[in-house]
Amino acid sequence: MIIELHEFTRVEGNGRAEIVVEDGEVKDVRLKIVEGPRFFELLTLGRHYYDVPDLEARICAICYLAHSVASVMGIERAFGVEVPEEIKLLRELGLIGELLESHALHLYLLVAPDVLGYSDAIRMATKHGELVKEGLALKAFGNRIRELIGGREIHGINVKPGGFGRYPTVEELEEVERQSEALLKLAKRAVRLFAGLGPYGERAKHFVATDGYLWGERLISEGGEPFHYTERIEERSLVYSFAKQGKYNGESFLVGALPRLLLKAKMLTPEAKRLFEEQRERLETGYVSYNNLAQAIELVYSLERAGEIAKTLLDRGINGENVPVEPGEGEGIGYVEAPRGVLIHHYRTDSEGKIVYSNIITPTALNHAMMEASLLKEVRALYGEVGEGEMVKKLEETVRAFDPCISCSVHLVKL
Amino acid sequence: MMEKLKLGVFELTGCGGCALNVLFLYERLFDLLEFYEMGEFHMASSAQGGGHYDVGIVTGTVSTHRDLELLKNARNRSDYLIALGTCATHGSVQASVELPIREKLKAVYGDEGNPMKALDSKPAVEYVAVDLAIPGCPYDKEELYQALMNIARGADPVRPDYPVCVECKLNEYECVLVKRNLPCLGPITLGGCNAACVRSGLGCIGCRGPLPGEVNPAGEYEILRGLGYNGDYIVRKFKTFARWEP
Repeated sequence: MIIELHEFTRVEGNGRAEIVVEDGEVKDVRLKIVEGPRFFELLTLGRHYYDVPDLEARICAICYLAHSVASVMGIERAFGVEVPEEIKLLRELGLIGELLESHALHLYLLVAPDVLGYSDAIRMATKHGELVKEGLALKAFGNRIRELIGGREIHGINVKPGGFGRYPTVEELEEVERQSEALLKLAKRAVRLFAGLGPYGERAKHFVATDGYLWGERLISEGGEPFHYTERIEERSLVYSFAKQGKYNGESFLVGALPRLLLKAKMLTPEAKRLFEEQRERLETGYVSYNNLAQAIELVYSLERAGEIAKTLLDRGINGENVPVEPGEGEGIGYVEAPRGVLIHHYRTDSEGKIVYSNIITPTALNHAMMEASLLKEVRALYGEVGEGEMVKKLEETVRAFDPCISCSVHLVKL
Repeated sequence: MMEKLKLGVFELTGCGGCALNVLFLYERLFDLLEFYEMGEFHMASSAQGGGHYDVGIVTGTVSTHRDLELLKNARNRSDYLIALGTCATHGSVQASVELPIREKLKAVYGDEGNPMKALDSKPAVEYVAVDLAIPGCPYDKEELYQALMNIARGADPVRPDYPVCVECKLNEYECVLVKRNLPCLGPITLGGCNAACVRSGLGCIGCRGPLPGEVNPAGEYEILRGLGYNGDYIVRKFKTFARWEP
C-alpha cells in the first residue's frame, strides 16, 4: 500500500511524500519533488560567460545571489582571475544579506506558525504582530543589502565576473553599519524563541560545508581535510523525483546552518560564538530540527559580520575598480554557502569564453537523502498512532527544518 | 464594513520569486489585506484551498501536467485572473531551451524517459485567457500593488506601454548602449521596472519581454551588430526571456 500525502505547504516550491506500507509495516518513504524541471545547465550551454551569472540567478528567488556568486567564482577560476579583498568583502556582504533575508523568511514566516500553533504568519499576526514585524524588518534589511550588492531585491545582475556593475556608496555602507547594530537585539530574541523547538527528524552522521564561512576553495566535512566534491559526493537520478539525490561516500549527510556552525565555530563573530557555546551540547546531537536554532544563531552572526565588513570598507575607502577578465579555455568550480547549505557551480569554457560543460548541485539535492531518512524515522514513530492530518503536520515540520528550496533542486544535469 | 475580495495565489513551475514577492510588499501587504482576504497560497500558508476567488494570481510556467491542471482550475475558479511574472506571461528562461522535452529529460535524468509527465515549459497565457498580464523577472512590486488596489476599487489597472528607455531618461541614467556600447535591450523592452539593470550601469537584459505594438527588434539587431556583437549572441539574448524574433 502506498499512502500519498498532499503537497507540502510553507516550503519554497512543490514537493510531496509517499509512504510505502507492507503488512502494516512502514517500509519506505519517498520524497517526491514534483516541481517541473527547468533545465538550467542546458540553458547555459553555448552561452557567453558574461551572461551566465544573470541566467543562473533565476534558478531561485530566495537565494539568487548565492547562485550569481557561485557562478561568477566558477567562471573566474576557469579563466584564472583573482579578485582583490574589496570585491571579496562586498560579495561576502551580499551573501550575508541573503542569509538574513532567507533565514528571516524561513524562521518567522514558515516555522514560527508551527511554534505558536497557526496555519500561517498572516493569521499569526493578529496576536503576534510584533514578532511578524520583527521578522519582516530583518528580511527587509537582508533584501536591502541584496539590492545594494546584487542590484535588485530579487534576480539582480550587478554581480559580474571581475567585479560589479555598480559599487555601494559611503552613505549606503554607513546605513549597513547602523542597521546591523540596530537589528541585533531582534536576532538575539530569535535565538531564544527557536531554542524551544525539540529534537525531531534523523540525527545526521556526516556534515559538509565550504572551507570558508560563506564560500571556499573546497569543501570540508567532520574530518576537516579539504576536498573537491567530485572526490566524495555522488549524485543519482530517482524515478519518482525531478530532483536528484546526493550521497557523501555513499551515505546520507547534512548541509546547511547546523553543519556550518559545527564545522566552523572558530570563524564565528563574538556574540554568535557565545550563543553557539550556550547551545553547543544540543546542536552537537545532530538532529535536523536543530537546523532552525542554528539559523537563528546565524542571524546574529550575519548582523555582526555585516557591521564588521561595512566598517572595514569605510575605513579603507572604496576603490570601485573591476579586474579585467580575459576569457579562455578552462575549468572552474564555485563553492558557496547558500542559506540552506553548500551550492556548487562547475563549468568548463572554450577559448571564446563560452560554456561547454555545466554542473550545478544545490543544497536541497544534497540533503534529499537525509530528508527521506528523517521522514522515515518520523513516519515509523507516528504511523498508526495518530491520524493522517496530524502525521502530515509533523512531517511538514520535519521537511521544513531543512529549509528546502525545491525550485533550486530540479534542474541537475549529467553530461 | 464592505465585504473583502477573496484572493488566491497559484504557483506553477518557477523560481518561487513571484509568489514570494507578494509577501514582501511588507507593510503594504497589510494595506492590501484591508481589501482582500487571503485564500490558498501554499508557499505562505497551510490553509487548504477550495471555492471561488474574486482575484486569482498565477505564477510560473506550465511545465508538468500538474501545472496544467492547477492552471485550469485557477482559471475556472477566479473571476479575475492575473498572470504574474515573465514565466507566466512569456515563458522566461526555462522556456528558452529549444530541445524537445524527451531530449531535455534524457540529457538531465538519463534514460528513464518521462516518468513524471513533464511538458515543454510554456507561459500560462498560452493555455488560458487572463484578465491582466504583469511581466518582469521579477515583476515590480509597485505595479502589482497598484493593480490590486485598482481592482479592489473597481478600476482598470494601468498597463505600461513605453520602453525601458523612458524610465532611463526620467532617472537621467547614462545610456549604456550609446555611451558604453553595452548590449542593452532597453529600446525594445516593455518598461515598468524603473530601469533596474541600467541603474547598476549594465545593459537591460529584456526580462519584461517585448514592448507590444511598434517594437523594432530588427533595428535593435542591426545596432548590436554594428557594435560588433555576434549574430548568434544577439539572437540568444532576444530569446532568453521571451521568444523575440529579430
